[in-house]
Amino acid sequence: MAEESEGDFVMPSIEVSYKDLCSLIGKKISLEELRDAVLYAKGEIERISKDLIKIDIKDSNRPDLWSAEGIAREISGRIKKAGLPRYEVKKSKVLVEVDKRVSKIRPLTVCAVVRRLKINKAVLSQIIQLQEKVCNTFGRNRREVALGVYDLSKIKPPIRYTTVKPDGIKFVPLDFKERLTPREVLEKHPKGKEFGHLLKGFPEYPMFIDSANEVLSIPPIINSEYSGKVTEKTKEVFIECSGFNFKFLIPALNVMACALADRKGRIESVKVVYPDKVIFTPDLKPKKTFVEIDYVNRISGLRLSGKEICDLLEKARYEAKLKGRRIQLLYPAYRQDIMHARDIVEDAIISYGYNKIKPLAPRLPTIGGSSKIEVFSNSVAEVMIGLGLQEIISYNLTNKENLFKKMNLREEDVVEIENPVSANWDVLRSWLLPSVIEFLSNNKHVDYPQKVFEIGDAVVVDETRETKTRDERKLACVIADNKASYESISSLLDSLLTNLGVKYKLKAVEHPSFIPGRTAEVIVNNREIGIIGEIHPSVIDNWKLEVPLAGFEIDVELLSSHPRD
Amino acid sequence: MIAKYRLTEEGKGYLKEGLPEKNLVKLLSYLKKPVTLEEANKKIKNFHIALKWAIEKGWVKKEDKKLILVKIPKKIEEQEALEKIAKEEEVSESLLNILIQRKLVEKISAEVEKTKKLVGKEVLHLTPELIKTGLWKKVKFKPYNVEAVGKKIYAGKRHPYNQFLILIRQKLVELGFKEMKGPTIETEFWNFDALYQAQDHPSRDWAMTYQLKKPKFGKLPEKRIVENVRKAHEVGVSRSIGWQYRWDPRKAMQLMPRAHGTCLSARTLAYEPEIPGKYFAIVRCYRPDVIDAMHAIEFNQLEGIAIDESLNFRNLLGILEMLAKEIAEAKEVRFIPDYYPFTECSTQLSCKHPQLGWIELGGAGMFREEVTYPLGIKAPVLAWGLGIDRLAMFKIGIDDIRNLFSRDLEWLRSQKVIL
Repeated sequence: MAEESEGDFVMPSIEVSYKDLCSLIGKKISLEELRDAVLYAKGEIERISKDLIKIDIKDSNRPDLWSAEGIAREISGRIKKAGLPRYEVKKSKVLVEVDKRVSKIRPLTVCAVVRRLKINKAVLSQIIQLQEKVCNTFGRNRREVALGVYDLSKIKPPIRYTTVKPDGIKFVPLDFKERLTPREVLEKHPKGKEFGHLLKGFPEYPMFIDSANEVLSIPPIINSEYSGKVTEKTKEVFIECSGFNFKFLIPALNVMACALADRKGRIESVKVVYPDKVIFTPDLKPKKTFVEIDYVNRISGLRLSGKEICDLLEKARYEAKLKGRRIQLLYPAYRQDIMHARDIVEDAIISYGYNKIKPLAPRLPTIGGSSKIEVFSNSVAEVMIGLGLQEIISYNLTNKENLFKKMNLREEDVVEIENPVSANWDVLRSWLLPSVIEFLSNNKHVDYPQKVFEIGDAVVVDETRETKTRDERKLACVIADNKASYESISSLLDSLLTNLGVKYKLKAVEHPSFIPGRTAEVIVNNREIGIIGEIHPSVIDNWKLEVPLAGFEIDVELLSSHPRD
Repeated sequence: MIAKYRLTEEGKGYLKEGLPEKNLVKLLSYLKKPVTLEEANKKIKNFHIALKWAIEKGWVKKEDKKLILVKIPKKIEEQEALEKIAKEEEVSESLLNILIQRKLVEKISAEVEKTKKLVGKEVLHLTPELIKTGLWKKVKFKPYNVEAVGKKIYAGKRHPYNQFLILIRQKLVELGFKEMKGPTIETEFWNFDALYQAQDHPSRDWAMTYQLKKPKFGKLPEKRIVENVRKAHEVGVSRSIGWQYRWDPRKAMQLMPRAHGTCLSARTLAYEPEIPGKYFAIVRCYRPDVIDAMHAIEFNQLEGIAIDESLNFRNLLGILEMLAKEIAEAKEVRFIPDYYPFTECSTQLSCKHPQLGWIELGGAGMFREEVTYPLGIKAPVLAWGLGIDRLAMFKIGIDDIRNLFSRDLEWLRSQKVIL
């Protein structure tokens, strides 16, 4: 969980007209009131410029809230206790025939018709915006859901959902003037370039086409200019959703159909004929569920009566009927997010108002404590600052050049990021000395001597672990000074280890980052816990430094588990 | 002629009172009978020195804790030598060495010679020689410009950001929270699946989190946990209908640097936490954000959970209010409905900081039963993740988050202690 939700989850951000929103709510509410009211829709007003309001909707699991219609529905429910919205579905004569050839490409579609629409600029912008949000966020960038809205008056049903060869029938794609083959659409149209990868490798592409052989669209890429363009003149629309899973398609269709119904449109169902079945969509019958009074009170910490809970849920657009200790519920078909009674409790307490609940800190008999490694790291740091060293902090992300090449080392296995934001930060550090020397290389203009240390984590590959990696708490220390020498760094180390009560030995070794004959392993309990020495002049040169360096790096965790003398 | 040696303070004392061994022999010859050690100790000053030398020279012997006089020396060379040196006369080198060893005589160094020349003059430094020779009485000390500011020295210090984190840790421990630890690299299982984030949920989008190129896959935990989590996703647990899709264990095995601290809470819940229990963690998190003044490449989250049969949403608000007051010095708090896949009911915590005004402090909620049941926890769990970097920035007095990990030594040296 983060302070900023946009970093955490895809948070739809939508724009609505203030005037339009008020007319949908059916009441003029001030901007100040609106600021609070959008909270009911888990929305937050980001920006207001004249009539245009930008709202972030934090619920990435409720596409029904991602439009002016949806927000208005939620707000008017709370201020008017409007209860369950009912959507009537008449039967249309429109038929969609699904060819079995789509079954291996994009097998499913659900459709709807909405008539008697009065589309103005605000309505049009909401249709386009909702379509985009539903496809991109809920529909996983059109992979799961592609939703198309068409001018029904230009279509001659029955409509066929079939396939087309890449060099098959030509048509004019939306916002274009020339007729293109499907292959050309994928190559030349901006949407073809953006979403063409979803059809990559298929010998044929899916296509909606009417009985007059007029192309509606190539889902999930683009509609045709002829029928796939909705304007302020459009009075009736055909809506289709295509994809792989009814779990995504049905809510997407319902959300769009209900939004248009809220604009006083009349919803009609479409008969979708599959090779093996026939379905009528949309089905907007309310869904049934229930919640127990005791559960609501136990989870919320409130003491609500059954009647009170019913009222709160009616405001959240349920239909609620008290039956003993249970509340029988009906909720609108556009909601697909209710998985558990907990979801219903939340709706009830949002109606109640979070800020009307009096916070009550629990009194739990618990004993606090820091983790051992943090306590020990702190003690190490205390000794280091007592020795006159400045602590530094570095990112754990770095690159191989810093870890290996600049340190005169051959590349070893490290943890590598697949999708780094920059090549500077594409691996996790496996040791700390490079971070510390990099720090010094950033501070060439600062007074010497410079004596710094860092206590932090390195991440190393370890096949035996659950995560195939292991964190190692390390201490690295470097002094940069004309007089920096093995003698000066080894007396620092000695002081540290003596103060920590650790018996140790130094054993001469060779290490490419250090000067030969001036390098040693630090041994505790017959185990190597680190390295110390004068940094090799070529390493100093690699970091573009011009001052002698002496340093060490030791494993703090191994140190902490060592029995004190 | 200038003397090369002189008596030390101890030497001067023996010149006046006699060497201790001389005094011991004198006492025994006067009493004319053996004396107990105890009695001699009472009567002779520096008795142990006296005893050592008198025995070594064969004048006295020890029998049954008594001292017996063996012979009376005709002359005591050391005593004579002390007198000679006091008069600045020559003595043999062997005697001189013994006296130097006994610290009764010391060489007059060149420093002392120099010091003698300072008599009557104005001097810059007070030296050990001036003190020892007593010549400080005969010199004048040059006055300094005492009002000038001292030369800069750079203290060894903690990094200010760490100081801040230590204060936070201390505060939580005081409030009765135990610290959780977990690995930097996590499986998606702990980062997402155990938190009931559907595998096809947009929040698991590639662009939102890092993935690893190497190593790519980790291992799943115990079968009991994995099967419960699978069930929660596929068909639901505890009266939930679940996400209703086919859960893929292979996807859950993918490795990533943890994107939030909540994976630590999931791990804690899975392995027999204390109930009632309160836990916290300060967690370094990784997300591929665009880096700017508000987004650093790595950041710390303050993660926490409370577990108990008695807990409810009102208690969650209570804990959040307490944390806002204790950590952010908030005077007022506000709760805003929010969404997280792993909590329901969820809230955002905003608080009024005395200087910063209203700030968003973090997200919180009650873990869904689809999260807790598969991990074996039936009691309600309150959970939160607070963004503490903004507060750290305020405490340290910076307005660019990238400076929390400052690489500027001059700046670090100039930083004041965080209180």
